[in-house]
Amino acid sequence: MTNLLILPILIPLLAGVILIFFKNSKMIQRVISVIASAAMTGISGYLIYAVYNNGIQTIALGDWQAPFGIVLVADLLSVSLVFLAGILGLVTLFFAYQTFSAEREANYFHTFYLFLMVGVNGSFMTGDLFNLFVFFEVMLISSFILISMGSQRYQLQESLKYVIINTVSSMFFIAAIAYIYGVTGTLNMADLSVKIAQLYEQENSGILTVIALTFLFVFGTKSAIFPLYFWLPHSYFAPPAAIAALFGGLLTKVGVYTVMRMYTLIFNNDPIVFQILLLFGGLTMFIGVLGAVAQFDFKRILSVHIVSQVGYMIMGIGIGTPLAIAGTFYFLAHNIIVKSGLFFFAGITEKITGTTHLKKMSGLLKTHPYVGWLFFITAISLAGLPPLSGFFGKFALVIAGFEAGHYFVIAVSLATGVLTLFSMMKIFMTSFWGEEKLPDPSAKERKVGKLILPVLPLVALTVILGVAAEPFFLFSLEMGEQLTDPSYYVESVLEE
Amino acid sequence: MLSTVAAISLFLMAGSIVICTVRALIGPSAPDRIVALDTIGIILIGFIAILMIVQDTIAYAEVALVIAILAFIGSVAIAKFVEGGIVLDRDRH
Amino acid sequence: MKNTPIQLHVVTRIVAFIILIFSIFLFFAGHNNPGGGFIGGLMTASALVLLYLSFDLKTIKRVLPFDYAYVIGAGLLLATLTGVAGMFFGFPYLTQFFEYFQLPILGETELTTALPFDLGIYLVVVGFTLLVILTVAEDDS
Repeated sequence: MTNLLILPILIPLLAGVILIFFKNSKMIQRVISVIASAAMTGISGYLIYAVYNNGIQTIALGDWQAPFGIVLVADLLSVSLVFLAGILGLVTLFFAYQTFSAEREANYFHTFYLFLMVGVNGSFMTGDLFNLFVFFEVMLISSFILISMGSQRYQLQESLKYVIINTVSSMFFIAAIAYIYGVTGTLNMADLSVKIAQLYEQENSGILTVIALTFLFVFGTKSAIFPLYFWLPHSYFAPPAAIAALFGGLLTKVGVYTVMRMYTLIFNNDPIVFQILLLFGGLTMFIGVLGAVAQFDFKRILSVHIVSQVGYMIMGIGIGTPLAIAGTFYFLAHNIIVKSGLFFFAGITEKITGTTHLKKMSGLLKTHPYVGWLFFITAISLAGLPPLSGFFGKFALVIAGFEAGHYFVIAVSLATGVLTLFSMMKIFMTSFWGEEKLPDPSAKERKVGKLILPVLPLVALTVILGVAAEPFFLFSLEMGEQLTDPSYYVESVLEE
Repeated sequence: MLSTVAAISLFLMAGSIVICTVRALIGPSAPDRIVALDTIGIILIGFIAILMIVQDTIAYAEVALVIAILAFIGSVAIAKFVEGGIVLDRDRH
Repeated sequence: MKNTPIQLHVVTRIVAFIILIFSIFLFFAGHNNPGGGFIGGLMTASALVLLYLSFDLKTIKRVLPFDYAYVIGAGLLLATLTGVAGMFFGFPYLTQFFEYFQLPILGETELTTALPFDLGIYLVVVGFTLLVILTVAEDDS
């Protein structure tokens, strides 16, 4: 049983390594990476079942027991995110096969895609702060390569910024880890939770707030929180749609996951941090959505929207009640699905018309009705209209916010919802609705049936998460309970 | 007695590293800089050797060897660069 | 062709092997002393870089006909599979074992499963270093 936990990390790692030897055979590469992603998804699906029934599972790597060795911990939050990452990865692969040129696929794309999954899954599962840093680096280095593949001028220029910003924030990450090790003498997250709770009871807990804020700076840069979001819209605009979808759906969410983990498990008593989370959450979503309203490019609007949606999640973590955490997770899951779906639609329209600029295309609904309506469903789900998945996440967050008395931030979030709807409708009205106006006449006949197939599961998921929300929401509520009471996590890690 | 000698020589070596650094920084021509950098490497090896005598240990022996190797390869590479502008030849024949 | 650096060739032929022997020493010294796969790999890589410096790419390519990307792959595979091996006996991933054996010439020797893991790291480091240096070198034309 215990070794099952390592498999979502080990399978993509082994598959990625094996693919180095088959770099000339496109077919073998595709088959192996699809099998690996499917196996990873299947195992994490089983892990959800096991964790839901038997409680939190842990494995001490190399048989070195916690708090001295490195542990992997599977609680509801981490296994669900691994599962979602697996689904998104599979869908991305199929979409990439349709859109990528042979040259782009040849340059170790599969290997680095699988290594990216190693980093993402590892960051979700690890129970050790330094190991988290290592998996973050695995993820970032793979993403550096994926983002700069193809070597167009604009792409290289933007990916250089991405590399520099992420490297600087990694340096702060390692500094923060050094601080926390200096103060507590441990890096195991469960052990940290216990020791830091003891330290907060003493008089001088100022240093802990400093450390908490350093971590917030680091994870804020990675997940694009308000003052640190400037890099994201440009970087995610540069790569092709499949990679943008993977990044937009997953990478910022890893940052959000770490914020969630750090501030529910370790720094859960710090009053200042939660105020700051609320403040920055509100600012992030509002400024993000304002940026989206001003844009007129399909992919740019989506990239800026990532920022605004991260704001909701940060706000949910800042409220910090079980209901708010449940809502945050629901919103996170919804966002992973919907945001990548929308990036895929941007890729599809780019394939049809050859551009992503909204003013250069219009009337796609007449020529490609399926694309248009599926996009419509996804877009209103992002805007948070019932009965789709976006509604329930926001609804839970608003209720939790009112219960906790954070009226102002809730008002901001509602205003943001309206503006999100506006900017999504702007895409729909200008490019799908209206008079038929395409950059070149041949675009009309261009078939995109194969491209829609990978998006269908995502659209289906957002509908299911909305229409049949109850079982999923009960699941999230249980997760909220599990996260807001760190003793579950601590006991299952340190007990063995 | 031995420790006094060691201390004095460590001090002198530190001084010569400083002088070599100055030469490497201002050195009017590239060969000056190469020789200065190579000298720094050699002084460092001696430095570590004396440190081993002072602390009565052989734990740093590998460090001295590694520095020697890296300094040698570095000097060869820079020398080739100064000579022809190409560090790794594609095909010499 | 131009001026062939005779002294460099002669010195390289001797020094490269000394460095290689030293790198093997460092590789085996690891685990309980300073050394190990990483530093051993770096030393081997520097010996090979010395060969590339004093001879030319084409000659060395004939002597060492490896694609260094495959060397990295082999190393990663070896290191990963060493961790997997313990899983078949029900131990957690990366569990390591060691035992003392009486070997014919070496006498009492400690054999550990950390050694193949280290060998994997060694291959990755050698492959990576040379791949980077050669890629940069091939850029000038």
